[in-house]
Amino acid sequence: MEPHTTPSMVKNTLILAKFELKKLLFNPRGLISLFAFALVWLLILLYPVRSASSFLLTEEFKLLISAAFGESSINELFKWEVAEMAIFWIAALYLFPLFSIFVSADQFSSDKHRGTFRFLTLRTGRDSIFFGRFTGHMLIQSLLLILTILATVILAISRDMSLLLPALTSGALVFINVFIILLPYTAMMAILSLYANTARQATIYAILFWAISAIIIAIINSQLPSLAELLQWVLPGAQLSMMINTQGLGSLAYAPIPLIQAAVLLFLGRNYMKRSSL
Amino acid sequence: MSLIKCEQLSKSYGSKQALDNVSIELKSGSPIALVGPNGAGKTTLFSLLCGYLLPSSGSVTIMGEKPGSQGLLGKVSSLPQDATLDPNLNLISQFILFGTLQGLSAKAARDEGQRVLTLVGLADVIEQKPQSLSHGMSKRASIAQALIGSPQLVLLDEPTAGLDPANAKVVRDLVKSLSANITFVISSHNLDELEKLCDQVIYLDKGKLGREVSIQDNLTDEYITVSMQTCDKAQFINDIEALNGVNSVTQRQDDEFLIHYNADDVNDLEIQLFQLFSRNSWRYRAILKGRSLEDKLFS
Repeated sequence: MEPHTTPSMVKNTLILAKFELKKLLFNPRGLISLFAFALVWLLILLYPVRSASSFLLTEEFKLLISAAFGESSINELFKWEVAEMAIFWIAALYLFPLFSIFVSADQFSSDKHRGTFRFLTLRTGRDSIFFGRFTGHMLIQSLLLILTILATVILAISRDMSLLLPALTSGALVFINVFIILLPYTAMMAILSLYANTARQATIYAILFWAISAIIIAIINSQLPSLAELLQWVLPGAQLSMMINTQGLGSLAYAPIPLIQAAVLLFLGRNYMKRSSL
Repeated sequence: MSLIKCEQLSKSYGSKQALDNVSIELKSGSPIALVGPNGAGKTTLFSLLCGYLLPSSGSVTIMGEKPGSQGLLGKVSSLPQDATLDPNLNLISQFILFGTLQGLSAKAARDEGQRVLTLVGLADVIEQKPQSLSHGMSKRASIAQALIGSPQLVLLDEPTAGLDPANAKVVRDLVKSLSANITFVISSHNLDELEKLCDQVIYLDKGKLGREVSIQDNLTDEYITVSMQTCDKAQFINDIEALNGVNSVTQRQDDEFLIHYNADDVNDLEIQLFQLFSRNSWRYRAILKGRSLEDKLFS
């Protein structure tokens, strides 16, 4: 049977990315993971987000925070039109990168370990496999992000229906910002899962990587502070603490950091994939 | 153009030399056998041909291109040893993925998946996941994926290992029926099977290329191999050695004898043998023109 079209790298990358999403949505294992994720976020939304957002609206709380952290430390937080989205922003900034480490830990490890890649590499190039899996895992995380943002929007409009438009607008900007933040985490996990034999091993390598890097930077900081200041930007998530006190388009000012990190990591991962034995 | 060309190909894993300076050139056509003891480097050679591994030194090309290159995608397929399909996805969805990656539409990929799974007798289990299949069925499913599309070269690493005799025959028949359009390279320890399927045999040992044997040489070979069911062995050897044109008779195994003769002196040796069997009421099991593959490789 002759192929209908000549397979191209881009087409096969998209086929593999869609297949990753399909594996999540049409597979009992994937659905269980999705359900567990939804349950965790339901609890986060129902308790911290809902109750904290009501605090955020009170004048006493603003005064307390200003007194505790200073006038300008988290003043942007009070400027959010939708208080729920402000709390969601803080939670998402730290939780989604953490989820990313777990969700994208098995981009390659299991398939490589059981030899399943060998069925793919004679049909498509290694570039398609690498970028297809990476794109697929970004699609999965985008889906999870959209679901949680929509749940936050519903939470906000259940309090005040007039918040629909501002909630959707700020939700879209939160999506773009968090999506960009997740790129280097997913790229880093792509490299680690290529090296590891299992998803668990890849996760352990990730924890070790961040912990050891932080220790090394701290040691360098005591000897060569200027070098340490430069090195801290190498780690994915270096900009997160500074992003808390930003909102909307202002948060995008930090986007070049994760974008450059992701580009470098994807370049390294792609070369590692090209040279690795399957 | 050569189908496969290896030039001074070597591969080492740390200090262990798995392939040592192997140079071979193979042309497309009848199935080619790759034999050798465990650890001889057969799977390493297959992995290099498929592009799963990169050589430590030397070069390998398939149809003039490097393994794994864009030009070979869909033209070369393989049954890799120890590779398993994704246990969490049913067979047909994985086969549709393979087909679409080879350029088929989703509908054509489904039809193609059904076709190849039917070829190996797995039409009833296309919706099942690999983990619910027996070892033999999984092996057949892995063979089926190698037949998706229009591959020109199919590398089968131990295709019948672990299969029951009936299904091993199904695989052998499949290889025979497809070998007019596809060149198969088969690695196996089953010499009888290779003898039935292949014309050319490559022998690897300790990473080095041993002899290359052609089964077709049997037709011009001045040997006859006879397996006997009942006979007086000493008398068998004496009587046949007394026939005109016979140089020697050697007992190979308990009931197998190798007759070496001079073709210029005798042209009806087979008839004389049958007459001898008849006179002595000996019953034979098999007569082979030439030598068995085992004899050619190991004697």
